[in-house]
Amino acid sequence: MLALKKIMRRSLCAFLFMCSALLSAQTASTVSEYQVKAVCLFNFTQFVEWPATSFPAEQSPMVIGIIGENPFGTYLEETVADEKVNGHPLIVRYYKRVEDIDMCHVLFINLNETNKIRDVITGLKGRNILTVTNQTSSSKQEEIIRFFIKNNKMQFQINLEAAKDANLTISSKLLKLARIFTP
Amino acid sequence: MKEPNYKKIPAGREYYYRRLFSVLILIAFFALMPGKAFSQSQDPKVLKKLSLEELLNIEVISVSLRPEKITEVASAVQVITGEDIHRSSVTRLPEALQLASNLQVAHVNSHDWAITARGFSGLPSAGGILANKLLVMIDGRSIYNPLFGGVYWDVQNTLLESVDRIEVISGPGGTLWGANAVNGVINVVTKSAGETQGLYVSGAGGSFLKDHVQARYGFHKGSTFFCRVYGQRFDQKNTFLENGMSSGDAWNMTQTGFRMDYFPSKATTITLQGDFYEGDENNSIKRAITDGQNVMAHLTHLFSDKSDLKVNVYYDRTWRITPNSTQPFSYNLNTYNFDVQYHYPIGKKQNLLVGMNYQFQQDKIARTLSPLSRNMPLFSGFVQDEIGIVPDVLKLTVGSKFLNNVFTGFEVQPGARIGWTPNMLHTIWAAVSRAVRVPTRFDADITVTDKKFDSEKVIAYELGYRIRPLDRVTLSLATFYNHYNDLRSLDKTTDPKFPIILANSQKANSWGVELSGNMQVTKRWRLRGGYTYFDRYIWSTNDNVLPISVEFESIDPKNTVLLQSVLDLPKNFQLDVMARYVSELSAGTLAPKTPAYFTFDARIAWLFRSFEISLAGQNLFGDEHTEVGLSRIPRSIYGKISYHF
Repeated sequence: MLALKKIMRRSLCAFLFMCSALLSAQTASTVSEYQVKAVCLFNFTQFVEWPATSFPAEQSPMVIGIIGENPFGTYLEETVADEKVNGHPLIVRYYKRVEDIDMCHVLFINLNETNKIRDVITGLKGRNILTVTNQTSSSKQEEIIRFFIKNNKMQFQINLEAAKDANLTISSKLLKLARIFTP
Repeated sequence: MKEPNYKKIPAGREYYYRRLFSVLILIAFFALMPGKAFSQSQDPKVLKKLSLEELLNIEVISVSLRPEKITEVASAVQVITGEDIHRSSVTRLPEALQLASNLQVAHVNSHDWAITARGFSGLPSAGGILANKLLVMIDGRSIYNPLFGGVYWDVQNTLLESVDRIEVISGPGGTLWGANAVNGVINVVTKSAGETQGLYVSGAGGSFLKDHVQARYGFHKGSTFFCRVYGQRFDQKNTFLENGMSSGDAWNMTQTGFRMDYFPSKATTITLQGDFYEGDENNSIKRAITDGQNVMAHLTHLFSDKSDLKVNVYYDRTWRITPNSTQPFSYNLNTYNFDVQYHYPIGKKQNLLVGMNYQFQQDKIARTLSPLSRNMPLFSGFVQDEIGIVPDVLKLTVGSKFLNNVFTGFEVQPGARIGWTPNMLHTIWAAVSRAVRVPTRFDADITVTDKKFDSEKVIAYELGYRIRPLDRVTLSLATFYNHYNDLRSLDKTTDPKFPIILANSQKANSWGVELSGNMQVTKRWRLRGGYTYFDRYIWSTNDNVLPISVEFESIDPKNTVLLQSVLDLPKNFQLDVMARYVSELSAGTLAPKTPAYFTFDARIAWLFRSFEISLAGQNLFGDEHTEVGLSRIPRSIYGKISYHF
């Protein structure tokens, strides 16, 4: 009876240990996907060249816009606070509809229906905006940069044709880290 | 070695270390609880210091499920998107199912439909109540009823504007869902409350659809709580008989409901939704009243892009009565359901899905069946393993469902699927599955004999191919060969009280081809459609089987064709057309053949600011036609105005 108690106590400890090991396997130090995306957007502003006409003045801001729900909370604003790219201060703007988008340089399209995304991109034709989306189920990419997660790591895919249409030059430093989209 | 005496409290170091060890284990256990991971917030300064290369190397928790591309799914699935539904003339859920070419959808009369996949819709004159091999769910709530094994389509009136998509999987879904997904599964998925914000109102009226008013309002609080409420009411007129007289089947339905989505954390979603309806229908000289309520709570928690937990609880009540006939008929069904699904990866190549479901149904019928009321508990569990033999290229899925039901006890439904995706362009897949149709109240309780009605079994062999030859074109081909055992039959007996009973004395083989495609022809013009071929051979296993048993189970069309065209015209106009062809239903012992029919729907719409004004027509070819049974479905034209703010 007493031996049984001992065995039970030992196995309870062993069980708890196994549980914690199992749980910890799932919770190895990781970062939220949207925090990484926010910092990636910040990085994109430094590896892409916009035509001079996108900035009316030397000090005019560089705008990162979000259309669709804001998934970053305040994280994106914290990331770009007090940051400048080539003298242009970075600011974040939130848009509900394509028509509302005035001056914008990077647009994160947080929508999940491919036809809605297509509508936004068509509405921005001829403008110099770096369009970025999450992974969608469409194998055709019309946006310039698409995020996706592979093996639990953030990756992105770049559509060079779309970048050319928007008159944007993407630095080779960014290109070599990306997967290039082939239609 | 002798056991030390534990009777007195041990003192000293030994005891201290043992206690310390236990406490440390407990601390380790709680310290590593998963909850911690999501409150982990990295200061942006920390992440900004990393080079882009290092940033792309961090382990990320994704809070969005990796959307499984339809080209990778190893089964015969067709999806009707909310957009496909919107760009058509359909006004109700069963009409929307006409847009899937792998379904047999027949409009019986003004309020009833006979819907099935891969045949076995039963006697045409039974008006769809013999079609028992399809499982239908709305947001995971089963609307299949155990009375006759089908769906009361007259009371399924989800607001079509709120439907995100309808997934139609033809073939056995036994391994994941209930005990009756023998020939197919339909899952209607509604949009989340966050996707239906603002005000939507619409009004329509016409020749067959007398009137239809819908209103929906969505609001939210911050970015974590979203809610919508809706209401709709429609009146639909009667169909006609051969002699031109009215079938007397006009009816109306009022439905209201809500949905709330709450996101306590980025990885958790809690949804609460419910619907309440009440309707009044005419059936030649009788009148029927229906009402029903359902409420469902759902929780999804994402651990990573490959691992999640889903818990679902719902209550559903449906009731109907024909009060004025000489023998009133009433039916009441209460369903209580609880299910859990857990999805997690094993190593790098395997994905395990396990689930458990407990459903308790209790019904009460006014007459005809014995007993009049029955308690039907159903326990089921399933296990499914998705093995990436060659990751992203060759995937094997094996699994099985185990269930215990009140009629036939324990049943097993194993299945295996394999999919080969050599490159982004095509997928070849094959599957073998066993599925079981558990007896319905009609099968088991219509006669009281010592011979129990057994469950029907099917072994399905499927082979399919999916290709994306150009980026704008997807084509898919699915072929199947099903072998049915213990198929329902009508047997004659020597018992004077029950000269005819329902038994399982038939077997059948069925086979067919389902071809479907989707093409974005130009930026403004999209085509989608499909062709289905079906045939079967049914035979009996003993001499007591009545010949009418064959048509009792299956009189199905051999060929079905669907084509839908969605066209955006300049100046905000839209022109949408849908055409269907269904081949004939052969003559039976008691009924003549139902001729083949061709018909088409058309819709013209104009978008003006937040308004959409449309004129739509259904079944425009010919004055009226019969799809199944005796009623003639008339041509229908209606106008609709909707406002979306």
